[in-house]
Amino acid sequence: MNLFRSEEHINRWLNGRAPGSTLSVEKLNALAQAWWGSRLAPDWQPRSRAESAAILISLGLADDFWTLP
Amino acid sequence: MHATDIAIRNTTYRLFVENGSAPSAADVATASGVDLADAEAAWKRLHDAHAIVLQPNAVELRMANPFSAVPTAFRVLADGRSWYANCAWDAFGICAALHTDGRIDTTCPECGEAIECEVRDERPVDKQLLFHCLVPAAQWWDDIVFT
Repeated sequence: MNLFRSEEHINRWLNGRAPGSTLSVEKLNALAQAWWGSRLAPDWQPRSRAESAAILISLGLADDFWTLP
Repeated sequence: MHATDIAIRNTTYRLFVENGSAPSAADVATASGVDLADAEAAWKRLHDAHAIVLQPNAVELRMANPFSAVPTAFRVLADGRSWYANCAWDAFGICAALHTDGRIDTTCPECGEAIECEVRDERPVDKQLLFHCLVPAAQWWDDIVFT
């Protein structure tokens, strides 16, 4: 899970490996805000799979790659 | 998850944030007012529940996501302190969890060039950067350190 300056850097880094999923940094930040924003809350409770899946879906990450086990 | 385990988990995170580095089980036991063995047992249960990640062969923290207990390629400066993150997602996650501005320092894994990304008002300043996730979500916990 890395940051890159361009698609060209990603493709060279993959070096023939099957690509995963590429997101804009704005989408990544939105995902981080939703995923980790309550991590330090004093009333923290473990998140269910359904709740985690709902975060991904709400950000349009609904394809097979982003489907949780 | 039992309330006592959540309390140990919350103390673990609090110490990680306050100190800028991972607490030991003894640190957590002392801060929680419990025996070391009880703190270690709670950590093992939290590890099994994917609430923290322990080192493979020791009752030591490897991750309290999004924080990393070991140096990584993702350094986050925020609120006058710094932490290592486990990955780019977690690096933004540290700013998100702290609800503060920050700066992420990393390098391009392809060319080694330094990449700095400021986060201000919960948004990245450099909007041209891209994030690549190689491992599908279904396999993240098969090897969370590689993921």
